[in-house]
Amino acid sequence: MSTALQVEPTIETSKSGAQLVKDTYKGKVHPDWCPGCGDFSVLSALQTALLELRLSPHQVVVISGIGCSSNLPGFINTYGMHTLHGRSLAVGVGLKLANHELKVICVGGDGDGYGIGGNHFLHTLRRNVDLTYIVMDNQIYGLTTGQTSPTSVKGMKTKSTPHGNVENPINPIPLAMVGGATYVARGFSGKQKHLVELFKGAITHHGFALVDVFSPCVTYNKDNTYQWFNPRVKPLEEQGHDPTDFHKALDKGYQFGEEVPIGLFWKRNDLPTLEDLEPVLHDGGGPLAFRGLGIPGEQCRALIQELL
Amino acid sequence: MIQDVIIGIAGAGGDGVISAGESLITAAALEGYHGMMTKSFGSQIRGGEASCRVRLSTHPVLNPNGPLDVAVALNWEDFRRFGAELPVESSTMVVYESRTGVAADQLPLEGVRPGVVFSVPIAEMAQQNAGTEKAKNIVIIGLLAGWFGIGRESMLAGIRKKFARKGAEVVEGNARAFQAGLDFAEAHPLKEDRKLGAPHNRSAKMLTDGNDICAAAAIFAGCTFFGGYPITPSTEIMQFLDREIWKYGGAVLQAEDEIAGVGAVVGASFAGKKAMTATSGPGMSLKTEMLGLASIAELPLVCINVQRGGPSTGIPTKAEQSDLFQAAFSAHGDCLRPVLAPVSVGDTFGITVEAFNLAEQYQTPVIVLSDQEIAQRKETVEPIDTSRFGLVERRRPTDAELVNYTRFKVTESGISPISQPGVPGGNYLASGIEHNEAGGPTANGETHARMNEKRFRKFNSLKNRRDLFAVEGEPDAPIGLVSWGSVSGVAKEALRLAQAEGLHVKLLVPKLLYPVVETVYQDFFASVRRGLFIEQSFQGQLYRLVRMYADVPARVRPLAKSGSNPIQPTEVLERLREMVASLQATHQHAEAIEG
Ligand SMILES: Cc1ncc(C[n+]2csc(CCOP(=O)(O)OP(=O)(O)O)c2C)c(N)n1
Ligand code: SF4
Repeated sequence: MSTALQVEPTIETSKSGAQLVKDTYKGKVHPDWCPGCGDFSVLSALQTALLELRLSPHQVVVISGIGCSSNLPGFINTYGMHTLHGRSLAVGVGLKLANHELKVICVGGDGDGYGIGGNHFLHTLRRNVDLTYIVMDNQIYGLTTGQTSPTSVKGMKTKSTPHGNVENPINPIPLAMVGGATYVARGFSGKQKHLVELFKGAITHHGFALVDVFSPCVTYNKDNTYQWFNPRVKPLEEQGHDPTDFHKALDKGYQFGEEVPIGLFWKRNDLPTLEDLEPVLHDGGGPLAFRGLGIPGEQCRALIQELL
Repeated sequence: MIQDVIIGIAGAGGDGVISAGESLITAAALEGYHGMMTKSFGSQIRGGEASCRVRLSTHPVLNPNGPLDVAVALNWEDFRRFGAELPVESSTMVVYESRTGVAADQLPLEGVRPGVVFSVPIAEMAQQNAGTEKAKNIVIIGLLAGWFGIGRESMLAGIRKKFARKGAEVVEGNARAFQAGLDFAEAHPLKEDRKLGAPHNRSAKMLTDGNDICAAAAIFAGCTFFGGYPITPSTEIMQFLDREIWKYGGAVLQAEDEIAGVGAVVGASFAGKKAMTATSGPGMSLKTEMLGLASIAELPLVCINVQRGGPSTGIPTKAEQSDLFQAAFSAHGDCLRPVLAPVSVGDTFGITVEAFNLAEQYQTPVIVLSDQEIAQRKETVEPIDTSRFGLVERRRPTDAELVNYTRFKVTESGISPISQPGVPGGNYLASGIEHNEAGGPTANGETHARMNEKRFRKFNSLKNRRDLFAVEGEPDAPIGLVSWGSVSGVAKEALRLAQAEGLHVKLLVPKLLYPVVETVYQDFFASVRRGLFIEQSFQGQLYRLVRMYADVPARVRPLAKSGSNPIQPTEVLERLREMVASLQATHQHAEAIEG
């Protein structure tokens, strides 16, 4: 394994002293995904990553939009939010600013993140908000039963493109890099161990981290299947890729065909996050969420004075 | 002989329950029966339990509700999961898979003991005849075809067609499984009082659902552009148009979200096309701002809202009538746009065409409130006579009007000639900012007031459209029902039941919900002393909306339920009986005082 994927052990271990095991992260509801759906593997890899990072359920918030993949927060035992289609990042940013000590992990599908949520995607990575964004990219709209998505390949026949998709797909890797993300990776549901390392790297990264995961929809995408990906995916870590080389990373990010590179494309640690730049978060008062509600009488008088 | 039968079938995913229901209703429609079919699924995304309800009748069917006459359970666990959706009573005939090992007198149905029960080795019959248990649903349609004398030939032909690709052996196997079902039914005949009569006319019916017929109506009305974004339960409208509209010179854009979808529709309308979008719940919320733009820029467009349970994600797969307030009022600023609602699958054709006509005539967005039930239930429809529907086009400027063209001219009717890009001399600015008659931006209060007045006045003639209201029953009845959308079918059936008991009742079904036409309600309520608004929403939104504009007698109250809680005609009937009794009591009381 390359050094780039190794995790700096900066995270606090469970303070409550409770023993952390994988079942700790098991949700109360059994996943409703179709048998064989790639999202099972993403869920499992995320649970393993949290365990290996010794993060307690109360330190983590998993936030999703709407879609099959966005049902994930219901299946994991952490704090969670199931928000609106395309809006997980918008909610995630607010949460992170209100309590910057939390590990915020936004999850969802390609339609959710790159279609309806595309605007929030661009602006959240531009701001370098310190959160992890996991996109379960199945190149189709699963929950609404199989329409074309922003990552559907050209020519693909779906319920909404009976004559084949005529549009060019979004490529989230170069898009995120150019947009200012500071950790850009791609995984594959068929390579779970590799995925765990990408997740750990993303969660410990200080800044906006994207992990786009090829997570096949076994029900509606008959083109980009496990069988299609298996012989094609090639871990960058086995190719001596240097994730600090922007232009090489861009080149690799554009590859999608006979060979599909997966792994950590790009990472930089030299940029401040949005929270770093927010003065109130560094005045020693701790997370805003745990400060008192309302303002002290003295400040109140000053405020009124301001109005006079 | 009975005139009406309700069949409910439930099983595990992959049992083919839905396709059994579809075969049955298709065959019945071909023979001239009327029918409705609704489907329901468990919570798993795919492969979970599934059920369907098929209501067949010799006469037009008004709603799919009511207790089952026939219950088919492939396994009891799945059947019971559907609870109130598949209500079994003691009069229900129960057919179940023998392999469940349940004794016929010990069915796992709390508190109900059905009198007629058949334990049938369905899986075994499938295995023996077709060599696979997958043919269980074929055995079931054989049983039902045998018992109700429906579609033996057409179903067999359907089976042959369906399996033709899989080779002669598979075809014959399934044909044998079908025959095994027929034979079982023949060996266990139904009593005369459970058999279904002949259809009152034998002409074949169309079988379709509200989404498909809405899309077809849009094409008929001349819609050549659709912009939208997939969302349950409206997606099939876009998918139908994706498949069909190009044949009629139109195009579809699946946008990146609902805002872009309706944005493209606004653009296409400005360009001069009839254009439409369709959505549901959260998507409707997103379209709000663009609809406001279309209102002030006076651009025609149709927005179909297939209502589902809300707020927010709510219950995407169940109908609710809780978006009426949103349809009427979700705009900032003073704004009026017509809201229409169809009452059935068949009615959705005419209402969609009407929506385009109103949009064009009044240069306005028009909202159509369909709902999940109408959108996704399969229903028999009499073949549509398209000559009944006239088509309206927007008022274009004459050559004379193109000299010093004033797009937003304040006319007597409030409707101004609308040009389109490409027409020499007709150029103007369509804007969301308040504008003067020529289309130039203004912050002048007087102009704002005048333009608002014009934009409201243009709808005055809409209030004469009495044809958008259906009144049934005795004109002077002291008891009045009001209902709208799919639920009006329940009210209509309740009305029939009440009339059969000699009760004096009438029913008003508005299809134009907004603006509220006060006079229609005033006239209707003139004789009414007691009554109900029957609606599928917690608040009873039509009841509250009408009261904003018209006087509603104090003893007319809402019978309103949240979505996914079916209102039964019998329950309405019960309330009607109570009202009759209370009216009589007041009468006697009054007489006693006078005497
Ligand atoms: C505003 C809004 N529009 C549409 C929908 C319907 N909808 C739910 S999920 C979804 C897309 C699902 O695709 P994706 O995000 O790729 O996730 P997947 O189901 O494939 O995991 C859509 C269109 C919605 N819930 N809200
Ligand atoms: S429809 Fe596709 S994405 Fe959704 S659960 Fe099934 S396999 Fe997964």
